[in-house]
Amino acid sequence: MVEAFAVASGKGGTGKTTTTVALGMALADEYDVTIVDADTGMANLLFHTGLADADVTLHDLLVADERDDIAVEDAVYERHGMSVVPCGTGLAAFEAADPERLRAVVAALAEDTDVLLLDSPAALGSKSAVLPVVLADRVVVVLQPTIPALSDGLKVQEYAHSYGTDTAGVLFNKVHDPDEAAGVAEKTERYFDGPTLATVPDADAARAARREGRPLLAHAPDSPAASAYREAAANLDVRAGESGDVADRFRSAVVPDAP
Amino acid sequence: MTSEIAPGPDGLDLPDGQLVRSRVESDPAVPLAAALDRSLTGYAVFEPQDALLLDDEGAGVVTFEDGVPRSATHTGTGAGGPDALADLAAPGPYDVELRELRGDALAALDDPGRRVSPGLVADRLAGDPGLAERTRAAAPDAWTDDAESGGESGSLDAVEAFLDDEQKVEAIRDRAREEAKERAAEWGLDGELE
Repeated sequence: MVEAFAVASGKGGTGKTTTTVALGMALADEYDVTIVDADTGMANLLFHTGLADADVTLHDLLVADERDDIAVEDAVYERHGMSVVPCGTGLAAFEAADPERLRAVVAALAEDTDVLLLDSPAALGSKSAVLPVVLADRVVVVLQPTIPALSDGLKVQEYAHSYGTDTAGVLFNKVHDPDEAAGVAEKTERYFDGPTLATVPDADAARAARREGRPLLAHAPDSPAASAYREAAANLDVRAGESGDVADRFRSAVVPDAP
Repeated sequence: MTSEIAPGPDGLDLPDGQLVRSRVESDPAVPLAAALDRSLTGYAVFEPQDALLLDDEGAGVVTFEDGVPRSATHTGTGAGGPDALADLAAPGPYDVELRELRGDALAALDDPGRRVSPGLVADRLAGDPGLAERTRAAAPDAWTDDAESGGESGSLDAVEAFLDDEQKVEAIRDRAREEAKERAAEWGLDGELE
């Protein structure tokens, strides 16, 4: 059983990585969860999860032929009750990375987990930015109650649907006044296929957690923001697929490795 | 571009001033930050590249005093103040020009009915709370107080108005679908389209 979700927004600064980690931790109470930093150009999952010193990262897996001695599991770290696949921050490694190889990595990870969360790039302008959305079964769109964030979120949904990736729901993040934003959330539902999973209040706790390199749910589990992320996870109807089907689907798209 | 909008349908008659920056910008925060950093006194013209497609012909004009936005006008709808920003909202990119004016030339354009609070353009048009905060910090207190007494601060009315405009939202979605297909072909992902 595995379902792959892309956590995406189309716009920077909406808190996608915080959301990916928080949803992952909340879902880990019930499922085997793997989170992947698929934002290979602007990786920061490692800073959120205390993995800044990780030796092997997704970058190493995406560079063709350079390090054949490395297996996918070498880039998987057990942290906070889930499996974490961080990405490196080097520009040279990003430039050397072959985005197509993400397919094979995702396929391998899908064989051994229930829920796969892909922290996706905040852009749609390149193949590597779009690929997580293409590979995912469904997308969680992270929004803020601003016109640019909403229009970019709409754009992400249309890209996703074009590739047969459905909408699992939207999450309003970093909201200054959740009561005031309720009207926006309600009107937003008309345009997005999934439900509003939660409205997460803007929180100093999230910033403090980030500074300490710890996930919000570990740093301030009782904060209103942490509660809202748990509510979002509870509202996400994870669909139990046949693991074979999903792995096959990824495999079928895998470009064969060079001999 | 300026000559096309002066005089505009709403009677805007903008002096040319001196062009200091002209670019296509996908993120409106970039020219706003440029105006702030150079303490621009003058104005910016934002013209959405999808203007025709969105059936929203016209441009947005934001005036600045010492780098801080002072007023906003939409030349197509004639709206001023926060409403102008809602009319201007689009996924971008925008053609953006920054033009510098002498202080007295800007003062002649001043219209209290078109004022915006210092951080509003960064918040509404760029969705960049960090830039909004930086802009508020650079503004005289009186400007922020003016806006708050006008009841503008913190309002999400413009966002709701955007969501009520089904035609505009549908146009954004239609354009995104077309773009997704075009780019899929460029990236060799067209075999995976539904």
